[in-house]
Amino acid sequence: MDDLIEGILGIAPGSPLAELRRRRPEALKHAQGAYRELLMPEDPGNVSHADRAALALRVALREGDAALAKHFRGLLEEAGAQEAIMLAEDLSAAPMEGRLAALLRYADVVGSHPADVSQATIDTLSAMGLTPRDIVAVTQLVSFVPYQVRVIAGLRAMLQEKAA
Amino acid sequence: MKHFTMEEVGWTPRLPPVEAETATPAQLAALEACPPAQRLSTYFLTLANDPGSLGERGALFNTVMYAPRGLPRADREFSTAVVSMANGCVYCTSVHARRFAELSKQREAMQRVLDEGHAVETDPRRRAIADFSEKLTLTPGAVSAADLAPLRAAGMDDLEVLDLIHSIAMFANANRLMQSLGETDAPE
Repeated sequence: MDDLIEGILGIAPGSPLAELRRRRPEALKHAQGAYRELLMPEDPGNVSHADRAALALRVALREGDAALAKHFRGLLEEAGAQEAIMLAEDLSAAPMEGRLAALLRYADVVGSHPADVSQATIDTLSAMGLTPRDIVAVTQLVSFVPYQVRVIAGLRAMLQEKAA
Repeated sequence: MKHFTMEEVGWTPRLPPVEAETATPAQLAALEACPPAQRLSTYFLTLANDPGSLGERGALFNTVMYAPRGLPRADREFSTAVVSMANGCVYCTSVHARRFAELSKQREAMQRVLDEGHAVETDPRRRAIADFSEKLTLTPGAVSAADLAPLRAAGMDDLEVLDLIHSIAMFANANRLMQSLGETDAPE
């Protein structure tokens, strides 16, 4: 099975860390499953696969995980979504207009300051035509990248430990 | 600093939760994958608006918190309480501090951490878990092998360390979902 996290960390099949991770097969399976359902669901509703990759790229950049960001940027490059890459990678405070920009601002607040989300924040998304399902999906997505970031960071420390 | 408690705290969703009576087959199947004690809570019924992500994420949560062997359940609860404090999630903190207190019978120790922060923790194993949990939560890019040394000194093997990493990461996720999708009815 292709595993995003092992690909990013270069964890080789059969290596001690790969074997260790297989002692938690459900965690492996459902982390990959959540990634698939959030980034490339069969029915994406009103949030396209490219929008989703842009949101994931944004959170990975804000979290400072260059390798994970590179992966999400790759998904957008494959889709030819250059404008989405530009928007997602613009971390300046410059005002951005449009639907994706509003979604990226939501990703910023959920990713970095979730306590600042209010009913008005959610109502703004509804007013853009997002359904409750879309809003839950987007929130799940921008909350899942921080999971990936910390698993990668923790495993990287374990790899260092084993190399020492 | 926020007021953290292990008493029951309320949570009001900002989106209409799915109603169990009118849920679609896909929504019901996704709820089935979630921890049995919580799957009909308002929070999980809110997440059920998007069954695809709930099914996978609920199953992930279930294995991270409840898979047998490895890191004792009380340690997972303690870690996730500390992570939730670091992320300012009063609701998640209350749930997991309470579960830690129930599992460990260390209610007073938990209350001290809630009131004064984990720097007051004197138990070496819990202190190592708390320090690592906070660092991986707040500055994941700064975590290195040196940060694992106190966990190893406390006797943790590879599977326990992996379980701890999973627990901490899971609450980077849970705390964001909980704070974004609903309002915590914070105690005074």
